[in-house]
Amino acid sequence: MKDLSEPILDRDLQQTQGAQNTAEQTMERLIFSLSELEHLGQTLISGYSNFNHSSKTYLRITLGTLQVTRGVILRYHPTGNNLDVVASTPEQVFPSISIESEEVANLLQHPIIENNAPPVGLEEFFVRSAELGETVDIRLWVPLKIQDEFLGMIGLGRFLGRETLVAWEQELLTTLAHQISIAIAYSRMVEGIQSEKFRLFMLAESAPQICQLLQPEDAAEQVVLQAVSFLDANAGALMLTRPEQQELELSYAFPETLVEGSTAQQNGNELVISCGEETPPAQEATSVDMLKSVAKDGLPGHCLPESDTLFGGKNLMAVPISGRDGDVLGVLVVGDKEERGGRIAPFTDEDVVLLDSFAKQAGVAIENAHLHQEALEARQLQAEMEEARKIQENLIPDDLPDIPGYEVAGHYEPRGPVGGDYYDCIALPTGHWGLSIADVSGKGMQAALLMATLRAGLISELSRVNTLTSGDTENGVCPSAIYLELTEMAMTLNSLLYASGTEEKYATFFYSHLNPETDILTTLNAGHNPPLLVKKDGTCKWLGEEVGGIPLGMFPNDMVSSIAEYEAEHIELVSGDVVIYYTDGVTETVNIEDEYYEEERLVEASKACKDVSADAIREHLHDAVMKFQGEADQFDDLTLLILKKK
Amino acid sequence: MNKFDIQIREDGEHAVIETAGYLNDALGEQLAEKAKELIGNGYTQLVINLEKTTLINSIGISILIEIIEALHEQEGALNFCGLSATQERTFRMMALAKYAGIFPDEESAIANL
Repeated sequence: MKDLSEPILDRDLQQTQGAQNTAEQTMERLIFSLSELEHLGQTLISGYSNFNHSSKTYLRITLGTLQVTRGVILRYHPTGNNLDVVASTPEQVFPSISIESEEVANLLQHPIIENNAPPVGLEEFFVRSAELGETVDIRLWVPLKIQDEFLGMIGLGRFLGRETLVAWEQELLTTLAHQISIAIAYSRMVEGIQSEKFRLFMLAESAPQICQLLQPEDAAEQVVLQAVSFLDANAGALMLTRPEQQELELSYAFPETLVEGSTAQQNGNELVISCGEETPPAQEATSVDMLKSVAKDGLPGHCLPESDTLFGGKNLMAVPISGRDGDVLGVLVVGDKEERGGRIAPFTDEDVVLLDSFAKQAGVAIENAHLHQEALEARQLQAEMEEARKIQENLIPDDLPDIPGYEVAGHYEPRGPVGGDYYDCIALPTGHWGLSIADVSGKGMQAALLMATLRAGLISELSRVNTLTSGDTENGVCPSAIYLELTEMAMTLNSLLYASGTEEKYATFFYSHLNPETDILTTLNAGHNPPLLVKKDGTCKWLGEEVGGIPLGMFPNDMVSSIAEYEAEHIELVSGDVVIYYTDGVTETVNIEDEYYEEERLVEASKACKDVSADAIREHLHDAVMKFQGEADQFDDLTLLILKKK
Repeated sequence: MNKFDIQIREDGEHAVIETAGYLNDALGEQLAEKAKELIGNGYTQLVINLEKTTLINSIGISILIEIIEALHEQEGALNFCGLSATQERTFRMMALAKYAGIFPDEESAIANL
């Protein structure tokens, strides 16, 4: 019996001992598991906020606790509808796996899923994740969730020394999965808080900073960059309104290549959107329409990538930039809100509120910068005007010369912005005289410089004209020769002024060549107000009215020839004749009833004073204009030049 | 500003990572990858020079936090340099300055590792 029983006892004993060993091993694993759970909890509260970083620790603890050699943790990104592998054993990089919302809902119904037996409705998802499943040799999947919020999945493979997990191991796996779910939710919450903290700090920090920027270009750049930064966008632009043209013009874009290939109107580096036409219905709206709508209605707007024709297919959010008085100054637009992993998320309602708040501060900053710029420009313009005035006044003679047998008197009176009036009486070595009067278009330094150019050119040309006429003095004046010289002089001056300025810069010019020995006055008109000849008997004649050419510098010489060539004419002056040269500041003087002084009043005033001296005529005409003007403001200079034959 | 670049300078026990451009997800991921490589190669004393990075978003900040955490696991250290005044205030507010040093230039950042 003993012999027989001994093996049985030994067998029982061995079995009992085996059971005890298994129980002890199980107990040891349970104790280890509890210890690892504590470790996992410590990892959770350690302050490591980034789950992607700590996920490797969670996977290591899970695999060690369950005696599994391979596994993965996947994190779900609802904005991208995908799962990212954040930890894997063996360590390897895997592509994201897309997942539909119906599949997410289906996964939530299954606490544990066998990899080779996917539930109904999840077959396609398991096909998409097959590469991962095969590479890691996944046997079981456990969805990670808190209540009904899907957070990811944990997959386990190659159970050490067994084919599957026993019941208590599965319960332990559920507990571990719950801990990992808490870690993901905690990480997401911390990331959200960090992001909000960053955004609010940047908003509070950047708004006062941009308000201190005084250059509009700097303000525009910083407005865009700060908005891009605190909204986690990867692009942004500021379009400013040009109310006169009903246009939006690109002020700054980030990155600089943002508008390359845009279909909107581009002139060089300018990108302009016309806002004049009607905005089409919303369902057809492109990004351009969205910007127009934001500028027009003053309300935020969105645009999906497929409708973005402006910035190359970005998810856009735009808000109006308003000034202090509520006028829309422009539109601030940001594009493609980033998420970790390169995903693009839609802008949220909170994003709109945040950007709109920032835009209110940005509006003040941009308005301030533009006002500062305008003040600077006004100051610079004022300084330029003063300089131009000095130049101009230096070009006008202080005293006019005495011409034998004649009286000459001049008057120049600046009124309003610096114009370009000029008169002169130049003595030529031949004993002849060159009298000129001109009115340069525009104002400021450019007009003053153009006038200086005209005067220099005139003096240079007169020295050449003088050579010819001096040769003729012995035999008397040859009018045809002077005509030719004067028309050539006009062409030379035209060419000089055309080369010096732009199309908008030109000069009306009247020149008189006086031979005091013969009393012949040869005249040439280049678009100037015809001077008035008042004869001693009171009859009047406009000089150069019939033969007037076009102003100097308006067209090139070859065009002048085809439009209206310069022509000279001559008159013979007799005692008592008066020639009154003037600029349009005289005839276009307005009174308080908005009436012009006009040529008729000049004729009447001139007739009334023809018999007095040139100085007295000047005074009389000036007084007449002043009396007519009354309290009305004037914006053009007043210039008179009087030549009287004694 | 738009130029996007990462330069690495390894010198004995420490390494310097210099970034240029917008520190967002794209540049941040590259930065994290380079830092991971350096840590894997035994460099636990790192300097990140942000002088040419004038713009950072919250993802860039989170990636910097991740690098700090990875270095702390290795008992390493990280110093920043080349920060603008706003960036420095941001780093202090976001608690990065609690776990990493901030220095005005690369030389002092290296000296204080």
